[in-house]
Amino acid sequence: MQIPNLDFRLVRLIVQTFRPMNRALILVSITLLLGSASYAQQSSPAPAPIEPQASPGRAASASPPAQAVVPVPVPIAPIKPNGPVQKSLVRITATSVEPDYKAPWNAGGLERGVGAGFVIDGNRILTNAHVVSNSRYLTVERDGDPNKYRARVLFVAHDCDLALITVDAPNFFKNMVPLKFGGIPALESAVSAYGYPIGGERMSVTTGIVSRVDFQLYTHSSIDQHLAIQISAQINPGNSGGPVMQSGKVVGVAFQGYSGDVAQGVAYMIPTPVINRFLKDIGNGRYDKYVDLGITYSKLQNSAQRRFLGLKDDDRGVLVNTVVSAGPSADILRPGDVLLAIDNHPIASDSNVELEGERADFQEVVERKFKGDSVKFDIWRDKQPMTVSIKLYTPWPYRIQGHSYDVRPRYVLYGGLLFQPLNLDLLEAYRPTDLRLRHFFEYFVLEQLYLAHPDVIVLTNILPDPINTYLAPYRGGIVDEINGKKIRTLDELASALAETPEQFVIRMIGDGPPLVLDRNKVEAARERIKTRYNVLNEQNLEEQPASQIAQQAKGN
Amino acid sequence: MQKHLFITFGIALVTVTGALAKKDSAVPAPLSTQKQLALVRVNVTGQSYDYFRPWQKKAPFSKRALGAVLSKGRVLVTADLIANQNYVELERAETGEKTAAKVQVIDYEANLALLEPTEKTFLDGITPLEITPDTVVGDRLAAWQLEPTGALLATEGLVTTVQMTQYPIDVGEFLTYRVSIPMQYRENSYTVPLVKNNKLAGLLLRYDSRSQLLDAIPAPIITHFLREADSQNYRGFPSAGFSFFPTRDPELREFAGDKGKGGGVYVTNVEPNTPAMKAGLQVGDIVTAVADREIDQNGNYVDPLYGKIEFTNLLTAHAYSGDVVPFRIQRSGKPMQLNLTLKHRDAKDYVSPPYNLDQPPRYYVLGGLIFQELSRQYLKEWGPTWERSAPQRLVYFDHFQSELFPEGNRRVVILSQVLPADSTIGYDDLAYLTVTKVNGKEIKSLNDLAEAVKQPIDGFIKIETEEDPKQIELDATQVATEAPNLQENYGISSLQRLE
Repeated sequence: MQIPNLDFRLVRLIVQTFRPMNRALILVSITLLLGSASYAQQSSPAPAPIEPQASPGRAASASPPAQAVVPVPVPIAPIKPNGPVQKSLVRITATSVEPDYKAPWNAGGLERGVGAGFVIDGNRILTNAHVVSNSRYLTVERDGDPNKYRARVLFVAHDCDLALITVDAPNFFKNMVPLKFGGIPALESAVSAYGYPIGGERMSVTTGIVSRVDFQLYTHSSIDQHLAIQISAQINPGNSGGPVMQSGKVVGVAFQGYSGDVAQGVAYMIPTPVINRFLKDIGNGRYDKYVDLGITYSKLQNSAQRRFLGLKDDDRGVLVNTVVSAGPSADILRPGDVLLAIDNHPIASDSNVELEGERADFQEVVERKFKGDSVKFDIWRDKQPMTVSIKLYTPWPYRIQGHSYDVRPRYVLYGGLLFQPLNLDLLEAYRPTDLRLRHFFEYFVLEQLYLAHPDVIVLTNILPDPINTYLAPYRGGIVDEINGKKIRTLDELASALAETPEQFVIRMIGDGPPLVLDRNKVEAARERIKTRYNVLNEQNLEEQPASQIAQQAKGN
Repeated sequence: MQKHLFITFGIALVTVTGALAKKDSAVPAPLSTQKQLALVRVNVTGQSYDYFRPWQKKAPFSKRALGAVLSKGRVLVTADLIANQNYVELERAETGEKTAAKVQVIDYEANLALLEPTEKTFLDGITPLEITPDTVVGDRLAAWQLEPTGALLATEGLVTTVQMTQYPIDVGEFLTYRVSIPMQYRENSYTVPLVKNNKLAGLLLRYDSRSQLLDAIPAPIITHFLREADSQNYRGFPSAGFSFFPTRDPELREFAGDKGKGGGVYVTNVEPNTPAMKAGLQVGDIVTAVADREIDQNGNYVDPLYGKIEFTNLLTAHAYSGDVVPFRIQRSGKPMQLNLTLKHRDAKDYVSPPYNLDQPPRYYVLGGLIFQELSRQYLKEWGPTWERSAPQRLVYFDHFQSELFPEGNRRVVILSQVLPADSTIGYDDLAYLTVTKVNGKEIKSLNDLAEAVKQPIDGFIKIETEEDPKQIELDATQVATEAPNLQENYGISSLQRLE
C-alpha cells in the first residue's frame, strides 16, 4: 500500500520523526565502527553502554570490557526458549557506495554498516533491505567461526525492507540451522530480539512484549506502508535484520524504531505476513513489488453524505476520491464511486474489513496479492450496485516520492548546466526551498503532474564557466520546453540538446526569462568543463544498477 | 557649514547620552540646540482580527511609540504601529499631558500614517520638524528616542547604503536608508525619527540589534506620502505591473533582439489590468529608459543623489498615481516608446490580497464548516515563518497567484477548518481545501458561495473541492436547525461576514 491514502501532513510528520531512525540504523552502525577505531587509538573515552558513539567496539572486544563499564553480574539463563539461535544468526558487514546526487557522475561516498541476518531454508539468509542497499561488498560472520565469508544479494525488496543474501562458500551453511516462521504473535506475549547491536561484539538478546499491531510507514523507502508489529524489546542499530522469536519460531524481523530523542522503547519488526509475501513473490525468480490500487478514498461516516449518495444506513462503504490514471483502477473506478466490498469482504465505513477474525484496513486484501492478480469490488455508482474487477500492478508515479537504492542517479550535464529528474533523493540532497519544486514533488501523483512531466527535470546546479556565468538565477527551474518543443523526459532533453541548431532556447515553467545557449560556444566549452570538474560522463539516462555502470566505465 | 554644525550637535548628543547611561545623573543637561522637542509619545491599544476564529478579535495589545510632530498639527508614525488600533493617544514628553488622537491618513504599503490630536491646542509650543530630503550615503543621522523622564536620548549613526528594499507589506520595493547605529532599547522605541540638522530625515522601519543595522523609511517616501495626504483623495504609491530580469547575459540580450552592449531589463511578465498591460508592454521587451533616465543591464539608473539605484525608485518615490511616465523599450531590436499611466494597485485587486488591516476578515460558517478567502493576511497568521509553516498548498497559491489565476478578479475560497457538530461528523479532519463548486455553481468568492448554498440539490448542499475528498454533502435542513446551537457552542456571534 502506498501512502497517498493517508493525510499528507500526517505522513510527513511521521517521516520527519521517523527517518532519523531508519538512517540511524545504518549510520549509527557506521559510527560504531569509526568510533571504535578512534577508541582503539586513544583508549580514553569512558564508554557509556547506552550511548552509541562511545561504545566499545571491535578493537576493545579482544580485551576484557573497558574499565569504565560498570561490571554487571551475568545471570545464568538455564533455559533457552528459542533454541540455539547462534546457529542461525549471522553478522553482516556491508560496504556500500551512496550515490552522490550533487555530483552524479561520481561513484559516491563509501560507507560501512553492520546488521544481522538469519538463515532460512534453501541456504538463504534473510535480512533487511537497508542493511544491504547500495552495497558493493558484503561479508557475513557466524558464531564460533573466525572466518569472514563473502556474501551476495539474491533479492532485495526495498518497498518492504527485506532482502535475501547467500554465501557461496561450500561449507558455510553446513552447521547452520535454518529458522522457521511463526504467525502474528498475540498482544502482550513475550518475544526476544537477536542481533549485533552496539554495546559489544557478540550476539545480543533483548526481550519484550508485543505492544501493537498496525500499519506503519516503512522508512527505508519512506513511501510504503505495511503491517508492522511494535515490540517493547530494545532494538538498536545493529539489530536490523535480526530475528524476533517466540517459542522457537521467527515472528518478525527487527527493522526500525524511533531514535531515543523522539520516543523511548518504540521498536518495530516486520511481521511474517509481509515476510511470507516477499518469499512467495520471488518464487518466479524476480521480485515484482507490492501492487497498489492507485486510488485515494475517504471514510463515509457522514449521514448526509450517505443519504446523498443513496446509501443504506448500514455503516458500509468508502468513497473513492481520486483515481490515478497511471494505476490499475484507471477507467474502472471513478471519483464518487463507493467501494462496498472487496473480494466479498464487506468494507465498513471506516475502511476496515474483517480478515480471519481480525479487523484490518481493506487495503490489506490488496497487500496480500501479487502482480497480475485481480481484485473484485462491489461498488455503488449513481445509486446502482456494480461489480468490477481490477488487475493489479504497481503504478509507477509513486516511485519518485520514495527513496531509490542500487541505482545510479540519472542526469544530463550540458554546458555546465546539470539537469536532473526530481525525486525524493534529489530533494534530500539539495533541500531546495523553492515552492514550485516542492509542489511538483508533493502533487506529482495526486494532481497527475506526471502526465505532462513524467520526469520533472530540474536545473539543479551550474558548474561555473564563462559560457554560463550569467545563468545562476535559472537554478532550481523546471524545464518546460527547448526550442519550442515540450520536454517530458530526461531522454527527450538529451536528444533535444543533441540536435544542432544555432542556439538553444530553454523555457522553464512559470514566468521568467528563457535560458539561451549558443550551441557553438557550448560545444567549445564541453571538454573544458569536463576536465575542470573531473566529470567522467556528461549523462546517465538509464536508472541502471550501479555495479553495471562501474563495469561499463572499465570497459570504456 | 551645515555639516560642521551637525558634527558639533552630534558630539553634544553623545555626551548627553553618556551622562544618562550612568543613571546617577538624573537631570539631563539641556541641549543648546534643543527647544521643545518635536516628539510626542504615542500610546496605542489595538486588537487584531483572529483569522482562525474570524468572528472575533484577538486579545488587545498595547504599543508605546514616538511620533514626529510635523506642520499643520500632524504627527507622523509608522502604519504598522497603528494598524488594527482601537484607541490612539498622544502624550507630551515633558509634561505627560495626554489627548486622544485620530488617524488622518494611513498607507500600509509605505508604512506611514498621520495622526492628529483631538485637542487642537495639544501641540502648541512645539516647533514642527521640517523634512530634509537630501540624505546621502556617508551622512550622519541621529535617532531620537525619549528617556522615561522625557529627556532626549539621541544616538548617532552613519548612512551606509541607500537602496530599494521590501517593506513589511511585501507588495514592492521602496527606497530605504540603511544606517549603522548602536540603538539602545527604550520603551517607546517603536517609531523612531532619524534627524539630520534638526530636520527629519527618516523614520525607523526595522532594526537588527545584532548587526546594529537600522533600515529607515527615507524622507523622499515621507514627502511623497505627505503630498498625497494633502490632496483630497489619498491614492497611494503607484505601480506599473510588470516583472523584469537583468540583461547581463549577452545570449539573452541577443535573443531579445539587442545586438549591442546596451542596457535595459528584460520584461518577464505583464500582469493583466495594470498600467504596463494597458500601455502595451509585452513579455520579451527590453526596457531601456524610464522617465528619460537610462537603465543599465541590472535595472539601475544613475540618481543625482544616490548614484546607481534600481529604476523602480522612479516609479515610487518620484512618481504619483495618474502620472504618465515614458518608457523607452526595444521590441525585437526596434526602439519604441510607451507611455504608462501609473496607478495604485489596491490590495483588493489581487486574487490573494497581500494585506487586510483594520478590516474584519470575511467568512461563512455552514453547519460547522468554516469558509474563508485566501489572503496573505490569513497565511501570516502562522507567524513570522508563515512561508514555511502555513499550509504549503495555500502558500503556493498565494505565491503564484498571477500565474495560476491569470484572469484575476476573483478570490480563492477555502474550507479552512471544521468545527465538530452533528452535521459534520466524519468531516472533522478536513482543512485547507479549495472550494471549486457548491451545488454545481462555480465559486469565485464567498458571495458566490453564500448565493449557491441557498439552492440545495434535493435538500443537500454539495460542496466540491479541488483536493480530496472532492465532495462534501450537508443536509440543508439539518444545517439550518443546528445553526443556533453551533453559534452558542462555539461562541460564534454571527455565522457570516460578507461585507
